[in-house]
Amino acid sequence: MQGPLIDTLARQGITRRTFLKYCATLASMMALPPTAGRAMAEAMAAARRPSVIWLPFQECTGCTESITRSHSPTIEGMIFDMISLDYQETLMAAAGHQAEAARANAMKENAGKYLLIVDGSIPLKMDGAYSCIGGRSNVDILKEAAAGCAAIVAMGSCASYGGIPKANPNPTGAVSVSDIVKDKPIVNIPGCPPIPVVMTGVLAHYLTFGSLPALDDKGRPKSFYGDTIHDRCYRRPFYDQGKFARTFDDEGARQGWCLFELGCKGPVTHNACATVKWNGGTSWPVESGHGCLGCSEPDFWDGGGFYKALSAPADPLKFAAAAAVVGAGAGVAVSFANRAKKSAARASHETTTLADLEK
Amino acid sequence: MTDLQFLTWVRGPGLNIAIGIFLLGVLWRLIEIYTLGRRKDLAAPRHAAGASGFHTVFRRSLPLPGMLKRSPVSYIGGYIFHAGLAIIVFLGAPHILLIKNLVGLSWPALPSQFIGLAAVVTMAAMVVVLADRINKPVKRFLSTFEDWFTWAVTFLPVLTGWMATQHLLLPYTQMLALHILSAEILLVVLPFSKLLHGFTLFGSRWYNGKVNAHKGVPV
Amino acid sequence: MSLDAIPIHVVNAPSGEPGLTGNAPPLLRELLEQVRRLLDTGEPSAIDLSALPLTPADLDWLHDKLGSGEIAVALQANGESTLNETGCPGVWWITHRNEQGAVTSQFIEVTFVPELVKAHPRDVAIGQEQLEFMISDL
Repeated sequence: MQGPLIDTLARQGITRRTFLKYCATLASMMALPPTAGRAMAEAMAAARRPSVIWLPFQECTGCTESITRSHSPTIEGMIFDMISLDYQETLMAAAGHQAEAARANAMKENAGKYLLIVDGSIPLKMDGAYSCIGGRSNVDILKEAAAGCAAIVAMGSCASYGGIPKANPNPTGAVSVSDIVKDKPIVNIPGCPPIPVVMTGVLAHYLTFGSLPALDDKGRPKSFYGDTIHDRCYRRPFYDQGKFARTFDDEGARQGWCLFELGCKGPVTHNACATVKWNGGTSWPVESGHGCLGCSEPDFWDGGGFYKALSAPADPLKFAAAAAVVGAGAGVAVSFANRAKKSAARASHETTTLADLEK
Repeated sequence: MTDLQFLTWVRGPGLNIAIGIFLLGVLWRLIEIYTLGRRKDLAAPRHAAGASGFHTVFRRSLPLPGMLKRSPVSYIGGYIFHAGLAIIVFLGAPHILLIKNLVGLSWPALPSQFIGLAAVVTMAAMVVVLADRINKPVKRFLSTFEDWFTWAVTFLPVLTGWMATQHLLLPYTQMLALHILSAEILLVVLPFSKLLHGFTLFGSRWYNGKVNAHKGVPV
Repeated sequence: MSLDAIPIHVVNAPSGEPGLTGNAPPLLRELLEQVRRLLDTGEPSAIDLSALPLTPADLDWLHDKLGSGEIAVALQANGESTLNETGCPGVWWITHRNEQGAVTSQFIEVTFVPELVKAHPRDVAIGQEQLEFMISDL
């Protein structure tokens, strides 16, 4: 750890005003009141660069790819100057034993203070043999690294909820970070991958306030995951008007109507895509004409098909035909029983004659 | 179980089971009812204007003379909530999509704000009808558990659906799952309760109209 | 192949070009309240324009109404930022752009001088050191 952050930045030629401007924009993106930008700037300027250890487990490196897209020249790239990223296999120059030594060193020097970032799920089957680094299983490394950390950021849907590795039938026994670590503050940043500014925003929050942001019931920062895609979608008015694209190339699709019928999971997906967008605000899935997959929700992979509308059956009906046959059979059987009852009643009917009445 | 797993269950296995029981029950009961048969009326048929099964089907949808004044709540409230339910079920976009997925038929939908309004009006009418049932001693005396139960089973899908779209009380995902679950409960209960009137209504009217028309009485 | 050959209509936003939503006029009242507070207590305040459901037409309308004042500050810091006083003194229209020129955030600040324009005492101290260094070199 070095001196206050503002001095580090100054050495890199980043002025105070640049930094203030960055904080104002960041506060705006995080939906904080406009005055919070200055408070953030003051707190961050005085903050010291925390050590960050980034552990990759059962993952595709998409999360790392995503966060690096927020790097230079955009302002989010500055965040990397504000943390000391001591271990990140994809980005670090060291490899092999040297890399492992760097991790061990950072963990020892910053014991109890470092921030742990995890991407990827953790396989538990066969004692975790499905994913190992340097001959050690992921679960083993995670437990060791979690013991000395201040907080954990579960980066991406795999680390947050198990993600694609956990998809039915979950061959590796994949679980999320929060399934294993119970005694540390954990913030989930789900998404496949998460939006770059969401990742850096959470790191900025940690730097600024020294704590993790307010979380929802699934452990996600409320500032980014508070609204559903559907509620913030620019195509929402078409949903309300009942105007839907029915195929990907019909008139509705060309007019940019709502993609609900094409399986958009926007109504049940909490994420910031609709407001923050992707690739520096260029576009986002719905804007490019494809429905939301719901990638920031637990088990989105097993949500009944990406192209099936939410109100449509998740599976084809299995029992309908059989049930109809059984029902019809039961009806016919009961009708025969009723008929038998009727004819029995008719058969046992005794005609009353005048003589009977006079008896 | 997470919200999404719950939602996926009600959209998958839950829907499967509910539609299975619904089809089984409806076919069973309709076949049972219509195969009962009735003894042939051997008397010579009489004729009277407006006396036929067809007439009765429509006439029974209108109140008898003077009845509208005597129990306006039952008639007006009844009309409103039945029409409201039909509008919501058959003209709401997600519902049409469900029908399209199940049987392949589809038609244009109404705007979601209109469906939301219909839901509010329907719920208001249903609450008024229920209050009337509780307040009127005769109605209360005649009511059995089934009457209260079927009211609740009909009311809940409307309430949960409306609350889901308005984002009330619970997150949308949970509310949507509860909405689908409540509709599935309705499907399961329907064949085995008085709610089967949705299927038997016109058949019964036709039968009553025809039997009485044979006697020359328009009913 | 030209872009016209692809049968896609460009639809800017729902129901064609969005016009005025009526969300802008209430902001003027809020500004009035904020200007009053500035005069009474000296407390500055701000409105985050990117956090509000305003269409480009709304922003244009607001910009037109407020007009432009005497001071226009341009700040070159990781992209250009403009801090312009509007026709109402004390009301500043602040636009932050990134290096590509895209607007990253937009605020209306009600203050005598925007905080960003003022030099920070620590930066002034550095300037003082530089001056002293220059003088000692003379």
